[in-house]
Amino acid sequence: MIRPIGSPNTALLVFLFAWSFGFASGAAGQGRLEHLPSPAPSNSSLSRVVANESGEIYLSWVSQDTEQATLAFSRLTSEDWDTPKVISRGNNWFVNWADFPALSVDASGMVAHWLQISAQGTYDYDIRARFYPKDNTTWTAARTIHTDGISAEHGFVSMLPFDNGTTLITWLDGRETKQGNPLGAMTLRAGIFDKSGANVSEWELDHRVCDCCQTSSAMTEKGPIVVYRDRSSEEVRDIYATRLIEGAWTLPQPLHNDNWQIAGCPVNGPSVAAMNERVAVAWFSAKDDTPKIQLVMSSDSGQSFSDPIVVESPNTNGRVGTVILESNEIVVSWMDTTDGAKIVLSRYDIKGNFLDITEVASSSASRRSGFPIIEAVGNSVYVTWTDISTTPQVKVARIDY
Amino acid sequence: MPKPRKPSISQSLLVLIFVAITTLSYPLTAAETDDGNWRIVNYWSEWCAPCRVEIPMFNELSVRLANSQVIIVGVNFDEDPRELTLEIADEMGIEFTVLSQETVDLLGMKPPDVLPTTYLLSPSNEVMAKLIGMQSEQDILDALSLQGLTPLTD
Repeated sequence: MIRPIGSPNTALLVFLFAWSFGFASGAAGQGRLEHLPSPAPSNSSLSRVVANESGEIYLSWVSQDTEQATLAFSRLTSEDWDTPKVISRGNNWFVNWADFPALSVDASGMVAHWLQISAQGTYDYDIRARFYPKDNTTWTAARTIHTDGISAEHGFVSMLPFDNGTTLITWLDGRETKQGNPLGAMTLRAGIFDKSGANVSEWELDHRVCDCCQTSSAMTEKGPIVVYRDRSSEEVRDIYATRLIEGAWTLPQPLHNDNWQIAGCPVNGPSVAAMNERVAVAWFSAKDDTPKIQLVMSSDSGQSFSDPIVVESPNTNGRVGTVILESNEIVVSWMDTTDGAKIVLSRYDIKGNFLDITEVASSSASRRSGFPIIEAVGNSVYVTWTDISTTPQVKVARIDY
Repeated sequence: MPKPRKPSISQSLLVLIFVAITTLSYPLTAAETDDGNWRIVNYWSEWCAPCRVEIPMFNELSVRLANSQVIIVGVNFDEDPRELTLEIADEMGIEFTVLSQETVDLLGMKPPDVLPTTYLLSPSNEVMAKLIGMQSEQDILDALSLQGLTPLTD
C-alpha cells in the first residue's frame, strides 16, 4: 500500500531523521552555527567583534609582518564585509595575546586603542587611542589616554559608549608600580573622553588590582558597571565590581568570595554584559588548582547578584565572554579543554537554568589562539577567534538562537 | 646521590658564564629529556611582573645546582617563536635553559592557569609538585626536600 505523504508514519520518519541529524551534529547544540567569511588577512589575530546600537557588526584585528603591526577593522553589511580600513600602524607596539586593541562604536563615531612601548622601559607601554567623530569622518591624531607621564605598564582596556557621544575607558594603570617605597601596586583607572578624545574626567577606581587580567564594562539602566580581578594584601584575587551612580563610583564589592589566593597572574579576566537592569558576569578561577567558570546574574543593575552558577569545572582554561540576548537569555563563551581545546557557548535562561551548549570551533589551548570574543545582536551571537592550525587568521561565526 | 664539590668564586663565575652562553642557545633534545635529572620547570612571560621578580633567584639557584641531579629550565608561557623567545629571555636576564616548544611537548607539559608556575619533574618526567605563584629559593628547596632531594647539602 502506498501511503500518502504527510501520514503519521511519514511525520514520524521526518522527526526521526531530524532527530538523528541533530544527534549526529550534536556538538552544534541548539544554536544554528554559521561560519562567516573573514575580512582579516593571513597573519592576523587579536580580533574583537562589537556592535553599535543599530546592531551593525564591526570586526577589528591586528595583522603583523616583519616590519610592523597594523590595527584594522571592517563592518559587516547585509552583503559582505566592507573593505578593511586601517586605524593605525606601528613598529613599536606591545603586541600581546591577552592584552590587545579594543574598538568601540556607536552612532556618534568610533574609538580604538593599541599599546605602544614607551621609550624608557622594556616592559613599559602606553595606551594610545584614536577617535573617529562621525561628523568629522576622519580619525583624530593618536593620543595617550592616561596623563601620568610615567613609564610603566598600562593596558587591559575596556571601552563603553557613554552619554552624548562620550566614551568610558577603563584600564589597568601601573603608575604606582614605579613610585613609593615599597613600590605601589597596579591600579584600576577610568576616564570619560569626548568625541575628539579630550579627557572629560578621570578616576582611580581601585588602588590595588591584579596585574594582568582583562577589565570589562557594560551599561546598565542605572549607569556603567566595571568588573575586574582584585588583589588583596593577602594575594586573594577574586572578581570585584564597581558602578558609576549619579557621578560617583561605588565602593568595589566582590561578586563572590572565591578566596583564590595566588601570588601570580591568572591572565583570565571577567566578562560583564548588561541589558536594562539585567546584568550577567562570568569569570574564571582555579582555587585549589581546580579550574572553574562561574556565572552570576543581577536584576537591579548590578547592585546585588545571585549566587554563582558553575558553568564548567574542571575542563576549562577560562577565557570567558558574556552576552545577554534579546530573549533575556544569557550566553557564556569559554574554552573547553576536555579533549584538546574547543570554543563553546553555554546558554542559560533568565533564571539561570542551563539550556544548551554549542561548539563553535576547535581551537588550541595555546596562547597564540588568544581570547575568543563574543557580541550579541538580537538573538544572534557573533564570535571571533584566531585559528592557528596553519598561518594564524582571524575567524568569525554567527550562532542564531 | 653524588656530593657536589663546592665551587670557588671564580669557578662559580665560570659556571655562570658557561650556563648563560650554552643553555640559552640550545634547546634540549629528546635524548636530553631522558638524562636522569630532576627538573625544575619555571613558566614565565615577559609581561608577568612576579615572573621577573623571581628570575634572579632561579638564575642564582641554577648555578648552585650545577653539579647536582637537579636542573632549572624555563618555558615561555606565550609560546612565541623560538628566536623571539630567546631574545625576550635575554632581555629578561634569564640565565638558565629555556625549553623549545618541541621539548615542552616531549616532556608532556601542559600550560598552567597562573603565572608564574613552577613544576618539579622527576627523572621520568612525572610532575611531582606544582608551585603556583612567585616562589622563594626556600620554597623550591622545600619542594625538593619533600622528594628526598637536598642538592645543596649533599
